[in-house]
Amino acid sequence: MNAFYDGHVVIIQATFVGILLALSIQVPLRLGVFSFAGAGFYGIGAYVGGNVVIRADLQAVPAIACGAVAAAAVGLVLGLVLQRLNGLYLAMATVAFDLMIGVVAVNGGEWTGGPTGLYGILTDLTLPIILVVVGVFLVAAELSERGRAHRRIEAVREDPELAASMGIRVGAYRVVGFVVSGLAGGAAGAMNVMTRTTIGPADVGFGLVILALTMIIVGGALSWKGAVAGAILFTWLPQVLTFVGEWQELVYGCVVLLAGIFLPRGLYGLWVDTRRRLAARRRPPALSEQAHQDVPQEMTS
Amino acid sequence: MTDTSGTPLLVVDDVAVHFGGVKAVDGISFEIAEGSITGIIGPNGSGKSTLIAALTRFVPLTRGALTFDGVDLHRLRASDIARHGIARTFQTVRLLPDLTVEENVRLGADVSKDRRGAPERVASALEATGLTEVRRSYPGELSYGTQRRVEIARAVAMAPRLLLLDEPTAGMNQGERTEITGLMKQLSADGLTQLLVEHDVQMMLDACDHLVAMAAGRLITNGNPADVVRHPGVREAYLGRKWGADARA
Ligand SMILES: Nc1ncnc2c1ncn2[C@@H]1O[C@H](COP(=O)(O)OP(=O)(O)O)[C@@H](O)[C@H]1O
Ligand SMILES: [Mg+2]
Repeated sequence: MNAFYDGHVVIIQATFVGILLALSIQVPLRLGVFSFAGAGFYGIGAYVGGNVVIRADLQAVPAIACGAVAAAAVGLVLGLVLQRLNGLYLAMATVAFDLMIGVVAVNGGEWTGGPTGLYGILTDLTLPIILVVVGVFLVAAELSERGRAHRRIEAVREDPELAASMGIRVGAYRVVGFVVSGLAGGAAGAMNVMTRTTIGPADVGFGLVILALTMIIVGGALSWKGAVAGAILFTWLPQVLTFVGEWQELVYGCVVLLAGIFLPRGLYGLWVDTRRRLAARRRPPALSEQAHQDVPQEMTS
Repeated sequence: MTDTSGTPLLVVDDVAVHFGGVKAVDGISFEIAEGSITGIIGPNGSGKSTLIAALTRFVPLTRGALTFDGVDLHRLRASDIARHGIARTFQTVRLLPDLTVEENVRLGADVSKDRRGAPERVASALEATGLTEVRRSYPGELSYGTQRRVEIARAVAMAPRLLLLDEPTAGMNQGERTEITGLMKQLSADGLTQLLVEHDVQMMLDACDHLVAMAAGRLITNGNPADVVRHPGVREAYLGRKWGADARA
């Protein structure tokens, strides 16, 4: 390919892995589940992916599948175990889960390589494989943002009681959210390990939660388009900001703070709200709505 | 209109719902005839909404039984109630802000197994509630009274056998109330059984075939609406001066 690609291959791959990591945190949030287990799933996917490559000599696609399925299985168990928790309590439990994965990474003996991690994870992973894997998740996400699935997800997040009265099994949706979060996080971790050929405890730490949250808060929490925008922005921003040197962290922090204040629904939310406002202005004012806003007194008998 | 001779669609038998020491509902019994409109009146806090919550499985029963068309409702999960044909509206507006009016109503139409018929159910529910024109608007762009009508349309689109309406006209003006009463009668003529909670006594007299009066979680009386509002216990507990004021309006 061209010179730009050759010069930026690592960061281009990191962008796509970042999209999946962001999705793994976003999927439960879209269901109103404050789960940050996505970072832990990423760790599971990374170590399982690394192990099946080293020990079983698997190539990229089956290794990614192994990482994703392993993390999804853990997600299923976690989703069932944490079913009764909500809000902050659920958030804390999932953060604890992430920290546990970190502890296992350090103390996992030959399976995790301890503090030094695993090395030499060489596969046939190419950018097209990454694109296809990420593409599958994005198509699934797009389908979940249309029609019946979209309506039901909105109900589960905004008003679980209302959702139940509409015949929706809220608990089942939440558990599925954990499983999908596991699939996305696990695939992201497995691909990350293969692009870098190495994995260590420092790569699966709590910083991943912060990174993923930053991506979807700034990009927009309610659509995959927000996750993509956020992942691109925060993978490339450090690259762009190298000229500010040691001030980089500060500039980065300010961007997040400003987005939080001025774009509470993220970049994607801004786009949606603007479009909605324009559409409302184009629509002729509805007669029935006007009639009901100020019903003339003579209608009262 | 009421056919009290047939088997009742819903039997409320000695139902009690206690929240710790609060006896929100405390031993209520009545029956709802198929095709009828039954009203519940009672002062604020008398347990009307709690009774509806019990019917939709949102709160557990402390005592008693709710039997809907032979089915013991408390064997079901909250999410199965809709499939058995019970729809409800809420005392406060509960619409999804990021869905259009049409999509909100479609959420109700999605309940039925008949997926193909969903767009038609949405269209006719919108038509019946006079919302066709605003179907592409978002709830936040509409007046409170219109939002309430979207709630009703969503429940109607579920094509239920029993419709529970918890103060559906709260915040509406007189003209809108008259319209809602007309809509309820239309639905009743189509065979839909309804349970209505309202404070407007005149509306209750206009709309209902049967009236249940509650106070402090207990039944005062129930029966013919005109008799119920004349019942001395009802006048004392609830109507009093308010009845006089409403009657003049
Ligand atoms: N979830 C709850 N927990 C505790 N008390 C409740 C709950 N829901 C209702 N109550 C109490 O039960 C009583 C009846 O309330 P409600 O059914 O809302 O009355 P109504 O609809 O007739 O105004 C009130 O005293 C209310 O405070
Ligand atoms: Mg109430």
